Amino acid sequence: MTKQRLMWIAWPAFLLACLLEMLVFAMVDPQDLHWFGRPVDLSRQAVYTIAFFAFWGLSMVASGLTTLLSMSPFEVNHCPLPACDRPDGCPKQGAS
Amino acid sequence: MEPQPAATRKVIPIVPQPVSASASSPAADGGEEVMVSLYAAHQKIYPRSVSGLFSNWRWGMVFLTQLVFYGLPWLAWGQRQAVLFDLGARRFYIFGLVLYPQDFIYLTGILVISALSLFLFTAVAGRLWCGYACPQTVYTEIFLWIEKKMEGDRSARMRRDALPMSLDKFWRKGGKHLLWLTVALWTGFTFVGYFTPIKLLGLEVIQADMGSWEVFWTFFYSLATYGNAGFMREQVCKHMCPYARFQSAMFDKDTLIVTYDTERGEPRGKRSKKADLKTLNLGACVDCSLCVQVCPTGIDIRNGLQYECIGCGACADVCDTVMDKVGYPRGLIRYSTENAVAQHWTPAQTLRHVLRPRVLVYGGVLGAVVIAMLVSLSMRTPFKVDVVRDRGVLARIVSGGNLENVYRLQVMNATESTQRYQITVSGLKGIQVSSDSLVTVEATQSRWVPVRVHLPFDAAPAGSHPIEFEIASMDAPGKLTEKSVFVVPR
Repeated sequence: MTKQRLMWIAWPAFLLACLLEMLVFAMVDPQDLHWFGRPVDLSRQAVYTIAFFAFWGLSMVASGLTTLLSMSPFEVNHCPLPACDRPDGCPKQGAS
Repeated sequence: MEPQPAATRKVIPIVPQPVSASASSPAADGGEEVMVSLYAAHQKIYPRSVSGLFSNWRWGMVFLTQLVFYGLPWLAWGQRQAVLFDLGARRFYIFGLVLYPQDFIYLTGILVISALSLFLFTAVAGRLWCGYACPQTVYTEIFLWIEKKMEGDRSARMRRDALPMSLDKFWRKGGKHLLWLTVALWTGFTFVGYFTPIKLLGLEVIQADMGSWEVFWTFFYSLATYGNAGFMREQVCKHMCPYARFQSAMFDKDTLIVTYDTERGEPRGKRSKKADLKTLNLGACVDCSLCVQVCPTGIDIRNGLQYECIGCGACADVCDTVMDKVGYPRGLIRYSTENAVAQHWTPAQTLRHVLRPRVLVYGGVLGAVVIAMLVSLSMRTPFKVDVVRDRGVLARIVSGGNLENVYRLQVMNATESTQRYQITVSGLKGIQVSSDSLVTVEATQSRWVPVRVHLPFDAAPAGSHPIEFEIASMDAPGKLTEKSVFVVPR
C-alpha cells in the first residue's frame, strides 16, 4: 500500500512537471530570469534541470496532500495493529 | 383501486435490513471494526515467454520503435544532427525545420495529434499503444528477453528464486543486471543525445569530459529505464498509467479487444486427449492456465475484459498453440469485438462495423488538425520579427523638420543560411525608416536591431497612431507585417 501510495504521489507529479517544464520554458528564457532582483548566474541547462525538480517536488506535495485527504476515517483514526498487538505505552492500547 | 394523485405518492420506507454479525456496523452491535485492505499484497509476476502472431507483431514494433529512437540522433542533415532539441540555444532542429520557442504552437499541434490518434486507435482496436508501442511495454519486452536468456523461462526462474544464493544463481542474476544496466545506460545516453549533439557527447564520454548536467540526465534516464522495465513492469500500467483508467471512455461494443469466447470455452475443464468433446459436456477450454502464466499483468482473461489488460495478445498466442495441440480450432481467445463474439460475426462482418460515428468523429477531427498543421507548416515564413518600442525615448524632434520614434526589432532567422531583410514602415503619410533599413542576420541566429522612424512635422495630430512594419526577406520568399504605434507629442 505504501509503495502504491508513493507511485500515486510521484507519477502524476512527474507528468505535471514535464508539462509545466514545456509550457514555462516555451515562453520563458532562463537567461532573462532574475532572482531577488539579480540575474540568475546559471547555465540554461542548470535552470531547466533545477526547475524540473522544483516543479516535480511541488506537484508531489499536491498529490501527497490528495492521498492524505483521500484516506478513509478508519485509516486516520485507528491503529492498523489489532488491540492485542499494540506496544506498551501506545495511546490506542485500550481502544477497540 | 383509484389512481393516486401525484402529490400523494406512495412512500416506500427504507428499513435497514438485519445483516450478519461479521458485516454489521460497530455502532449497532459494538463489534470490532475490521480493516479490509482493498489491495492484495503484490506478488511478483513471472511472465512465461510466448511466440505467435501477436508476439511477432510486438517484436516487429520493438525493432521499429527502437531503430527510430536509437538511430535518429545519429542521422546527419547537412553539417548538423538531423533531429536535435538544442535547449541550450533554444532552437529545435527537425530535419529541414528550425523552430524557435515562438513556434510552440507546433509542439501543441503534435501533442493534440498524438492524443487524437490515441483516441482513434483505441476506439477501433483497443489498447494498441499499450500492447505494441508504449516504451513501458517495449523496454519490458527487451528486459524480459535478457532475463530469459540469463535465467531461463518462467518455471526455471521461479525455481531458482526459491533457492538460496549460489554461485550459479549469482552469476546469472549478476549478468542479467549488468546487461540491463548496459541497455539502460545506452538508452539514457541516446536520450541526452537528442538535446546535446550525440557525436560530441560520444566524444565527451570517451574523453571522460561530459558536462555535469549531461551526466546527471544520462544517469537519471538510465535509472528510470532500469527501474521501470526491470522492476516496476506491470505495476506502471496498473497503478501509474492514467490512460488505463480512462480508456473505457473510448471503448464500445465494436472495439477490437482481446476476448475469451465464453460460449465456446465453458464449462472449462481438464480432459484426456483421446476423449470425445461431445460426450464430455465440456467447453473448449482445457483449463491449462497458460493464458494466465503468459500474462504480463497477471490477470485471467477468461474473467472478461479488465482494465489491467494491456491488449498484448500473449494469451491469444499461447491459447492458439494449445488449441493446435489438442486439435481444436484456434481462436478461443482472439482479437475480436464484444458484438462479434456475441453474434458470431465473421471477420468481414466485424470489419464492416469499424466505420461508426465515434470513429468517424475521431478520424475527422484528427484529419482536420493534421491538415491544418501541414498547411501552417508549409506556409510558415522562415523568419520572425518582434517589434518593441524603445521606452527610453518617447519621441523627439530631429533636424529636417521631422519627428523621430525609436523601435527595437528582433529579427529571427529560421533558415540555415545568412539572410538579408528589408524593413519598411507604413500607416502615416510621409513616414519612413531613417536608419539602415537593410538587416543581415546569420543562419539560425536572432538579432536586435534599433530602427529609427521619421515622420514630417505636422503630418499627424498629437497622440499615438497605429503603424505597420513590413519585413521582407531579400534571399527567400516571405514577408511579415508587425503592428506598432507612432507617438506624436503635444
